[in-house]
Amino acid sequence: MRYGGGNRSRLLLITLIVSSLFLITLDLRGVQVLDGLRTGSQTVLSPFQRAGNTVASPFKNFFSDITHLGRTRNQLEQLRAENFNLRTKLINRKNADALLKKYKTMLDLAGTGDYKILSAKVISQGSSQSFSQSLTIDAGSNSGIRRNMTVICDSGLVGVVKEVYPNSALILLASDPSFRIGVRIAGTQQIGILSGQGSRKAVLQLIDNQTTLSVGDVLLARGSQLNRPFVPGVPVGTVIAVDNSAGAVAQSASVKFYTNFSALGVVAVVVGAPKTDPRDALVPPKPRPTPIPTVTILVTPSPSPSATK
Amino acid sequence: MITRQLSFSGVIFLFIYTLQESFINQVRFPGGGFSIFLIFALVWSALSTPEVGAITGFSAGFLIDLSPSSSGPVGQWTLILILTCFGIAFLGFGDDKSRGNPITIVFLVVAGVFLAEVSFLITGALLGVNLGSFTQILIILFGMTTWTLLITPFTLPIFSRLHAFTFDTGSRI
Repeated sequence: MRYGGGNRSRLLLITLIVSSLFLITLDLRGVQVLDGLRTGSQTVLSPFQRAGNTVASPFKNFFSDITHLGRTRNQLEQLRAENFNLRTKLINRKNADALLKKYKTMLDLAGTGDYKILSAKVISQGSSQSFSQSLTIDAGSNSGIRRNMTVICDSGLVGVVKEVYPNSALILLASDPSFRIGVRIAGTQQIGILSGQGSRKAVLQLIDNQTTLSVGDVLLARGSQLNRPFVPGVPVGTVIAVDNSAGAVAQSASVKFYTNFSALGVVAVVVGAPKTDPRDALVPPKPRPTPIPTVTILVTPSPSPSATK
Repeated sequence: MITRQLSFSGVIFLFIYTLQESFINQVRFPGGGFSIFLIFALVWSALSTPEVGAITGFSAGFLIDLSPSSSGPVGQWTLILILTCFGIAFLGFGDDKSRGNPITIVFLVVAGVFLAEVSFLITGALLGVNLGSFTQILIILFGMTTWTLLITPFTLPIFSRLHAFTFDTGSRI
């Protein structure tokens, strides 16, 4: 028999809907209690997220690793020959080396830019069910992190600190659709606004429509007033396509971020801004093309039979 | 009896929510992955009465809203899940033929996840939430629906047993 509903059921449904609308209204009006609830839930969840990160770390990037299986087949065959303990040690060592390399590159970047940084481990990736791009790190207000601080990694800009909790912080990734940053092009110093698109690609809108863009141009953070939320000079990305459509109010371009947001293990929060703008000091070096080996064949002509006659 | 049902449901909900936030979210699945918590809430509603479905939707939606990675205002997921869970419970309730059929429940859950995500997009657009490029939205919608279709048949027996244990119904899928 099909359920027909009843007065009690209708009353309950209406009460719940009104309650949810009430919550939305309170949140949109900026009532602190709801922010407190979110802060509380993150404080409770962060130890579980740390534990989850430890458990999930061996197969975190399982699906992306599968796509690169062909490249690592030789390495896998070598590893198969070793015993289980040795393999575990090797994986741990490799993981530590990769982290060390990332830390070193990050420190080099921070040193060149004269940024004072605080490194942190990523303990949770934001869920994509809300179409937002965020992650949680294992350092918070107890370590000196505040809202609106720039977050970088070894390759460049990661995002900005959105929320801070005592022992963790929520980072809004540069790829988030709501993310906007003022950028300038290294060399020409043209300025524009870069918007996240939910993926590793972003859209750049130039302020001045008289200027021109070209593929390969490097974008650096312009920096904000009092260096919050963005410190100047951080490498952001590179132009991969230019939209030259006639009649456009401002020139726009597609940009690829330097940072691979799906493979972030450690990040650094810029807790101290540089005294002077590092200008173009942090522009990453262009990749060197692999030299193609050339083979020179020397042929000594033998005397022709006709000449001997 | 009600105290037992409420306390059991509360513990199970909090456990699945913690599992989602601290473990499932760590793994980068292609196409946006899936939400085990959303699947659980919808399966729970599909097996319950419409009243329990609405309360399930309210609780599950409120927990998702409390997640720091949730981009919309608090209450948005609550509203969406009240309506989705009530709708799913309403469709299945009273018709034991469809309610006892796992294929129908899997279909209801997949449709529920899709509808919940589309409703989130629409209400998000009305409330001024930035949602990203159209292509990215399509990828996530397609990815989440496909993942839900793959995951639900495996989780349905566990969730149905938990539901039967909590409500002492005895009927399992």
